[in-house]
Amino acid sequence: MKIPEDFIYYLSLHEDCNERLLARAEGLTAGDVEVSQHLEVARIKKMVYAVMGEVHRMKAFVRLSFLGTSVLYGFFKPRHKIGEHICDHFARRNAGIIVVLGNGRESWISIFREDRIWQDHCQGLSETLERLKSALHCSEDGSNVEGLWQVYYDSQYCPERKNLVAFRRYMPRRDQEAAGIRLVQNKKNATLGEFLGESEGCTEK
Amino acid sequence: MVTLEKIAHLAEECRFDSMGPAASPAVLGVDAEKLSTLGEGTRHDVCASTFSPRETPLPGICHAFTQDGRCVTLFKTLYTNHCTHQCSYCTNSVNCSSKARAFSYTPEELAKITLSLYRSNYIEGLFLSSGAGRDEDRIMDKIVETARLLRQKFAFSGYIHLKILPGSARAHIQEAVELADRVSINLEAVSASHMNEMCATKNYESDILQRQRYIRDILSEASSANLPAGQTTQLVVGAAGESDEDIFERVLYEYKEIGVRRAYYSAFSPQRGTPFENRKSQPLWREHRLYQMDWLFRVYHFQPGEIRHAFNENGYLCNADPKMAIARVFMDLPLDPNTAEFRELLRVPGIGPRSAQRIVAFRKRQPIAVKAELAAMGVRIKRAAPFLKINGWRDTTLEMWQA
Repeated sequence: MKIPEDFIYYLSLHEDCNERLLARAEGLTAGDVEVSQHLEVARIKKMVYAVMGEVHRMKAFVRLSFLGTSVLYGFFKPRHKIGEHICDHFARRNAGIIVVLGNGRESWISIFREDRIWQDHCQGLSETLERLKSALHCSEDGSNVEGLWQVYYDSQYCPERKNLVAFRRYMPRRDQEAAGIRLVQNKKNATLGEFLGESEGCTEK
Repeated sequence: MVTLEKIAHLAEECRFDSMGPAASPAVLGVDAEKLSTLGEGTRHDVCASTFSPRETPLPGICHAFTQDGRCVTLFKTLYTNHCTHQCSYCTNSVNCSSKARAFSYTPEELAKITLSLYRSNYIEGLFLSSGAGRDEDRIMDKIVETARLLRQKFAFSGYIHLKILPGSARAHIQEAVELADRVSINLEAVSASHMNEMCATKNYESDILQRQRYIRDILSEASSANLPAGQTTQLVVGAAGESDEDIFERVLYEYKEIGVRRAYYSAFSPQRGTPFENRKSQPLWREHRLYQMDWLFRVYHFQPGEIRHAFNENGYLCNADPKMAIARVFMDLPLDPNTAEFRELLRVPGIGPRSAQRIVAFRKRQPIAVKAELAAMGVRIKRAAPFLKINGWRDTTLEMWQA
């Protein structure tokens, strides 16, 4: 990853960011952060990478479901303060549709319309969805996209290439949980030994 | 910030926009066996790009990884698994004794599945390949129709990679180029004689190379907006006994003459019921080393003459980093990272483009004094140290001479 020009924005989203670090970062360029070996700058670099990494993985791993025809919602519990950023990303990707991301404690809501983002920060996800249901008079979508995905996902596995080390490195359990993913892969070919945890088998929570 | 009620009101108003809310079309009643069988048909196909200028690209985004560590970014599927070709390595060929039931999508069905998965953020786009059916032109027509539905009816702005079937008409290729972000036609083999051994029904020159030239010519005539991710190809590694050097020579031709954006390699693994069932499976490291060789040519800009030193006398790469093998031949004297040029730094094992850029930026501020500074810039010291000289000091270790 390369340190972006707007790295201070990413730094400000870190859960441990404070005013002093932001002030320190003000005097630095992306190039400074990239190559400097000063301890505090190295810490800033590490924090920026941590936020960028989580942003990237959440854009990839968060799954959305339809509520009626004009709301997409998904479970999302990030470590850093990236809720609004990620919600806006999905709103831009789905113009004209309300995007709600959240968990039991808080939720973010965005819509992209006429080249502009409108957003709100609300209570827990289920509460927000209830309010939207009554405001829009809509209900859950009947299609089973997750079921489709699971069948397709299982079809892509090549047993002769099995490499659980790579799988766990690229798809850490921590990030799967933050995005609310459930991956029970290749159930039809799983062995009893794998189920009992005797060998490296099913991955899931 | 606005209230939730205001946001709900804005969403309701979108019904009156010219486009309206691009809601997900319902995908009900998709046969799971069909979805699975046609998905399995593309397990060995590779596409690592999702670059589409139609929306802000998400570089390298992977929506999931399978337990083999490969990323799942696209909805990769066959349009149909019915095929009249006799490819000896393929489970869909007519001479496979354990063929799966034949299935086929309709363009509408496939477009709806793609859009549903895209809206729910499972994928970045569609990778559509197919068996040739009874008539490749009819299947190409359906493939193009699927892409047209996605782009025009559903205003789909995600990534589309279309496979061009061997022997397709130029008119279909033209349409595919206009709708897709990337098209590809699989070479599978390195030469006509190797192709004859793998598949008696495909003519290497006219069915494959000529179609690649069509794509190249269409691209050179068309506007630059067409096909932003270019043309690619894929080879089956080791099915017909070709050496790595044979593959390298073919790939050089593809890069220089056809203008493919990149080549993909898939190590041969024998499939049950196929004529090649009893052939030896190729080690995955062979595929990995070929990708490293490819990377040295495309990204590090090594000369073909340099890369050829990585092959042994039989034309194969060893199970070791080819960059290290080349460095042993060409790097007689250690390099000072404080004075070396960027392209010289790139030739040192353990130094990649990013770390080379960092070294160049760092030494403008202060000279590099110790190895730890290089390590902090992302250099893999263990590999690089035998080829470097810092402050006049050089590590004299056996590492340089070890495999």
